[in-house]
Amino acid sequence: MRMNGKNVFVIGTGLTKFGEFYDRDSTSLATEALNAAINDAKIDRSSIKSAYFGFMISNSSPHSAFSSKCLRECNVSIPFTRVEAGNASGAAAFHQAYISLASGIHDCVAVIGSEKLSDFVKNGTIEKILGSTIDYQWEYEIGATLTSLYAMITKAHMREFHTTMEQLASVPVKNHKNGKENPHAQFRREIPLDRFLSAKRISDPIGRFDLATHCDGSSALILVSEDYLERNNGIKNKIPILSSEHSSDVLTLHHRESLTEFKSTVTAAKKAFTKVGIEPTDIAVAEVHDSFPISEILAIEDLGFFEKGEGGKATEAGLTQLNSKISVNPSGGLKARGDPFGATGIAQIVEIVEQLRGRADKRQVSEVEYGLTHNIMGTGALAYVNIFGQEEMEQ
Amino acid sequence: MEPPKIWREKRQRYLALGISCKKCGKRSFPLSEYCPYCGTNDVEEYRLAETGKILYFTNVSMASNEMAFNAPYCLGIIELNDGIKVTGQIIDCDYKDLKNGMEVKMVFRILARDGHEGLIKYGFKFTSI
Repeated sequence: MRMNGKNVFVIGTGLTKFGEFYDRDSTSLATEALNAAINDAKIDRSSIKSAYFGFMISNSSPHSAFSSKCLRECNVSIPFTRVEAGNASGAAAFHQAYISLASGIHDCVAVIGSEKLSDFVKNGTIEKILGSTIDYQWEYEIGATLTSLYAMITKAHMREFHTTMEQLASVPVKNHKNGKENPHAQFRREIPLDRFLSAKRISDPIGRFDLATHCDGSSALILVSEDYLERNNGIKNKIPILSSEHSSDVLTLHHRESLTEFKSTVTAAKKAFTKVGIEPTDIAVAEVHDSFPISEILAIEDLGFFEKGEGGKATEAGLTQLNSKISVNPSGGLKARGDPFGATGIAQIVEIVEQLRGRADKRQVSEVEYGLTHNIMGTGALAYVNIFGQEEMEQ
Repeated sequence: MEPPKIWREKRQRYLALGISCKKCGKRSFPLSEYCPYCGTNDVEEYRLAETGKILYFTNVSMASNEMAFNAPYCLGIIELNDGIKVTGQIIDCDYKDLKNGMEVKMVFRILARDGHEGLIKYGFKFTSI
């Protein structure tokens, strides 16, 4: 008996531009992304058996039941499931879709990540929404915000490993440089290091420019299993999902032993690398969760790309730039592409798939064999790690 | 703010309650029906120690609506003298004067208010000794 189930592939990707779209609603964005994915996969839309929607709040009253409306507009009448895992909802929906294919229940499914955050303009609303990704009762209601918890994590990393403000700021500087070449990114301009350093502090040491912006956007994928490929010859540009793993940690920061390591990321990455039988050094390109500068530093350490404590130095030395030791966030990451929570995890996968297909244009990483995505909820209570390979690879 | 939730939680918020497990002897926070260490429900209420020291801290300038009246404020993770860790606001102080390891004591204060005429939520905060 095979423990890993059926082989699963990504055969289509779709992405809207990310940003503030006051003239468009959730349905419009999700429909654009799903239609783009179906057209990219070049399949008959009647072969899609089920859809998984990943979003955190977009079914709240201003966007009621957009999943259903999106499927109607895309002319697919199929069952659908909403998956919610805070700001990791996209990766969570992808993981559920993967399970449905690996188990053999379905052979072709759609995954849609979507979020419409620019409707929530009132001060403090986004802070409250993000409060549900941390301990609402004993962190948020006490006065903590997601940003303030990351501020304490940043200070802990600075204290423990002598990480500097310049090292931290080199994360968004690099991501904005990458985002400049991404037509889907919200911010397509470089921002110099001193702008990050001189910005007003929101929660010391996190400054106004350090946060990924909470914006609008949708992303979609068409996934198939080996069964589908056996029956349908000639499907091109299929990218194998070599592993899809997730892991958890205690929700509340004050319950953790260490603030400078996200156990969920470490565990999910270990499981993912073990399954594929490769080392972190085999990864050429990775899309990691850089909601704050410290998030990317923790991610590249916890995923095993760099030793614990070396993430800041490595970033400042340019080891995570495009076509260096490892290309981290070639899309611009959450920081420059923008962070519509549910759409983010799937947009990361879209980027890695395009990199593996060699279609990433000016942000193309040379000689990509393996690519990785990493999406987390809140302060790492949940982490999702996926590894993708080249078309011809055996799983 | 949700009145039933505030009412439901007021006792543990006002008294700063955790549990002490009669089986494994460990204490934990917050109040729960089962011991998170051994899984038994043979637990009793336990009042947290009222003094402790600051482990990590920051300041908050962008706060939720209900706490905006208070912003900017200082916030930290406090290790109480009984070994239990909690998150709490640190008040009556300047951010620049805070230090890791600084000794603090628990005080009872307004946490959040729903406008001028709405509900007021109380709970613990910390002040330097």
